[in-house]
Amino acid sequence: MGRRLAEFAMNHPKAVFIGTLLITLLGTALIPLIQIDTDPENMLPADQEDRVRHNAIKEQFNLNDMIVVGVVNDDHPEGVFNPTSLSAVHALSRGIAEIDGVIRQDLLSLSTVDNIEQAGPGTIRFEWMMNTPPQTAAEATAIREATLDLPLFRDTLISGDGEATAIYVPIVAKDQSHRISREIQALIDELEGDNQYHITGLPVAEDTFGVEMFIQMAISAPLAALVIFALMWWFFRSVTLVAAPMLMAFAVVLTTMGALIGMGYTVHIMSSMIPIFLMPIAVVDSVHIISEFADRYRKGRDARETMAEVMEHLFTPMLYTSITSAIGFASLAFTPIPPVQVFGLFVAAGILLAFLLTVIFIPAYTVRLKPERLAALQASGRRAAPDDTGLARGLIGLGGMAVKNAKIVVSVFALGLVIAGYGISQITVNDNPVRWFQSDHRIRVADRVLNEHFAGTYSAYLRLESDVSAAAPADFAEESSAIIEQAEGAGVDIRGPWQQMLREAEQNSDDFNAKLEQLSLAVDDALFMAGDQAYPWWESLLTLIDETRGRLNVFQRPEMLAYIADFQAALADSPEVGKVNTLADLVRTVYRELRSGDESDYRIPESRQAVAQTILSFQGSHRPHDLWRMVTPDYQAANLWLQLSSGDNQDMQAVVDQAEAYVEENPLPQGITMSWGGLNYINVVWQDAMVKGMAQSLAIAWVMVAVMMLLLFRSFVFGLLAMIPLTVSIAFIYGVVGLIGKYYDMPIAVLSSLTLGLSVDFAIHFIERSRENYRRTGSFTKSMQLMFREPARAISRNAIVIAIGFLPLLAAPLVPYNTVGIFLASIMATSAIASIVLLPALMKLIRRWIMPDRSQTTEESA
Amino acid sequence: MKTIRQMLLAVLLTALLPPMAFAQLTDASEIVGKANIAAYYAGDDGRSAARMLIMDANGNRQQRQFTLLRQDVEDGGDQRYLVVFSRPADIRGTVFRVEKQVGRDDDRWLYLPALDLVKRIAAGDKRTSFVGSHFFYEDISGRALEEDNHTLIETTDEHYLIESTPKDPDTVEFASFRTWIDRETMLPMRSEYARASGEVYRRMEVTEVETIDGYPTGTEVRMADLDSGGYTITQFRFSEYDIGLPDRIFSERSLRNPPREWLQRN
Repeated sequence: MGRRLAEFAMNHPKAVFIGTLLITLLGTALIPLIQIDTDPENMLPADQEDRVRHNAIKEQFNLNDMIVVGVVNDDHPEGVFNPTSLSAVHALSRGIAEIDGVIRQDLLSLSTVDNIEQAGPGTIRFEWMMNTPPQTAAEATAIREATLDLPLFRDTLISGDGEATAIYVPIVAKDQSHRISREIQALIDELEGDNQYHITGLPVAEDTFGVEMFIQMAISAPLAALVIFALMWWFFRSVTLVAAPMLMAFAVVLTTMGALIGMGYTVHIMSSMIPIFLMPIAVVDSVHIISEFADRYRKGRDARETMAEVMEHLFTPMLYTSITSAIGFASLAFTPIPPVQVFGLFVAAGILLAFLLTVIFIPAYTVRLKPERLAALQASGRRAAPDDTGLARGLIGLGGMAVKNAKIVVSVFALGLVIAGYGISQITVNDNPVRWFQSDHRIRVADRVLNEHFAGTYSAYLRLESDVSAAAPADFAEESSAIIEQAEGAGVDIRGPWQQMLREAEQNSDDFNAKLEQLSLAVDDALFMAGDQAYPWWESLLTLIDETRGRLNVFQRPEMLAYIADFQAALADSPEVGKVNTLADLVRTVYRELRSGDESDYRIPESRQAVAQTILSFQGSHRPHDLWRMVTPDYQAANLWLQLSSGDNQDMQAVVDQAEAYVEENPLPQGITMSWGGLNYINVVWQDAMVKGMAQSLAIAWVMVAVMMLLLFRSFVFGLLAMIPLTVSIAFIYGVVGLIGKYYDMPIAVLSSLTLGLSVDFAIHFIERSRENYRRTGSFTKSMQLMFREPARAISRNAIVIAIGFLPLLAAPLVPYNTVGIFLASIMATSAIASIVLLPALMKLIRRWIMPDRSQTTEESA
Repeated sequence: MKTIRQMLLAVLLTALLPPMAFAQLTDASEIVGKANIAAYYAGDDGRSAARMLIMDANGNRQQRQFTLLRQDVEDGGDQRYLVVFSRPADIRGTVFRVEKQVGRDDDRWLYLPALDLVKRIAAGDKRTSFVGSHFFYEDISGRALEEDNHTLIETTDEHYLIESTPKDPDTVEFASFRTWIDRETMLPMRSEYARASGEVYRRMEVTEVETIDGYPTGTEVRMADLDSGGYTITQFRFSEYDIGLPDRIFSERSLRNPPREWLQRN
């Protein structure tokens, strides 16, 4: 099969080149259509339950993603609360309001909010907090005192120490946040004064990551390619020959990315790494071919025939390694996370394409080379291959040691597994888009500074929702019928007109509250026409309508607000929560100012009417709509805005657990349900799905690869042996992740697939060649001696090429890229060692069953 | 032939049409003065039942119902207002009392029955929301003419178009506003508030006019917030003028004990 394919390719080299060129050009042509997507929300399918709810909550309460601009002044004793600094804040806020994509009416800054305060006895004042910049130090101090005095602003608009202020910039869409943050920066650059400004917030982190990721794609992948190229040249000393796998790797990467983009998929954080994953895998098989071709080719021999031999020999192991690698990645399709699915499937497709190109392109290319070049290659192959290079001597020594001390080797690995097991149990699952940047990145700096000063730049939303409207229509129908019947009993017939009103209300609106409103207007009108007899009955109907509407206003009930107040206090006690902003704060603050302004009046009014009237007073401010971020206009759902000082998923998870524990102890009021929204919460949801999904996909892939191994080796023992290096590698890698306290995040999660795919490659080659040697020699010891020459060198070379090839990733300013780079190198090292050291040691221990020494006579008689 | 027929037609039409109610005005301050009288000073006093429907961009609705009593101290000058809420039921009995004083800050009081609390609202900015609607206090009681410079931009067949710019830009959120004043009734039919960039972000429109007791009255007014997409519609019903409201009902006593006899329609 391999021979036939190779011969076909060698007979039609032009067709192969043109075909390869065409698909590459097609792929490349599609790449400009690229759509970057760094929205972690897309980690969940669009119709995922939590995501749908998150969006519903955002719409219900007019919530938008926010950029946070913090203003700090370390030089001035009063912080930013001096006339010069506040003038700059004022100018900045005005400027931000004009930026396209900023939701102006919800912009929160000192100059856009109201102050509510006492203005002499019996007088309340609503006015802009900072309509014009203060002229004197005293005015600036007054602004500070007034802001600190309002619980909704303290730690949100002003830091608790009264030195810093923040501007919260709601934006129409997350994917505009990078542009908007740059426009904000441009405004800042023109400001006078010595304030320091920091821009952060999850949307900025995510969108900025997208922009930098795009740059990294254009730098890291080609840089990695360059290093791989240099290494291969070092091994084979022939630019022309080494150019073949490089060209092929580029063809594979460009075609795969082009296909992904052309099929309409967005390039997510994961898919941006496809080139980086594909590059080494695409090269690996070619290294085997070139390595062996260089060994076998002799001057004067027909290159074509040599290549056909090599291909015949390598086709099966290459096919199997490609398929197993592809399975490893394709298994990611079993995770419930669309970008990871896309990543897995396209890497898998890329691997298969790489295999196809390897078996046709490399032979076609090689035989088109001039004989002189091949001769040079042969010479360099001679030079690179002898058994007395450092690498070669090292491997021979290592192999001898492993076989001699098999028991110790196996025991060491077994001990390692135990430690790895402990490490795995210590793994912390966590992610945080802000941590994708290195700690000196301006976003990380801003994040640190702002979360030190303020309650938190991360938002989660806890929604409490009432089911009161479910039963209300039936109750109302019953109660109103009772009144009509009583009226009839008293000899007054108002049934006809009442039913008419009901019908009209029914036709005009679907919403029960709107129906009641219409009914109230109709009954109100009827009251004016009514005679003395009918009047009291109409009046009781109107009272019933009003009372029904009042009862629907669940979150105007004092006991509900009291529950919220207690709940938020409990939540704010936890270290992860900086502050909780709720309707209870608003009502208590306005009530305090209506009463006396004294702290003792900071409480919830005693009746629903008193709450309603307190809220009505607030609605006489400049920003009455702020109310609707805390409660819906029908008062049937309330929103608790949690400000978190950390964007870590594990912190958000802790808050969710805490809320659940609280509700367990203090049951939610009758008919109230609780649910979560906010970007931080969404991150927790997909992370949870990822952990479960990864475990499942890894298990599925392991079984599938094991089945493949059984098929390949047609032996249960060898099949199982082939699974050992990868199992050990995965255990070790994740053990180390747990032991060093590295968070298990998305890049770490997908590394399991890479490990699975690459470790098994080494094992397949090692076992296949061992069995071949054993068939030839009939001796385990001799087979192993041979194994530590050429085959072990090929494996090591491959491991070194890939490991070193990806070290440029360490230079990238984005942490996920660093993670992948460093772990790729470790995986290569671990799986190479597991294959070269552990496998022979294990085989030695069971050699009596798998490779018993054959005596000359047995061999002859056989 | 043609010219003669046209001339004849023109003569006939001129003879048949009633004389214009007002001659064409050219002085901006005269126009805004008359418009102010037409919009806020009809009769010596008046009563109106108002319904407000407050809509947000998501289609959420809130409702307010109140009775508005007004007494003019002087045409175009000081006025007294009493606003008594009846719905939603939870705010029933809430009362605003306003002493509008030309040339000085208004005095405003608020009574909240469930708190049994009378509170004076400090003088200052009147461009805050009126009970959560898209109308400002100033839209309900009128903005003092001397706070702006007024220019007549255009006179069309139907409207005078006035552009007004604030004398003290720091006290208001707009850079300018334009008002379309009906030439016949002198009612401001539309106002558009613009930012310095020229962008219009707020629009008032009178959508229904009825002549009541001889006074053209805007009976349905719509205020739109173009930033958020929300709007408020106010309907004034059962409006009456010159009903002889006594001075005493515009007192602090009326806050706690609204004058029922004057709040009901006859």
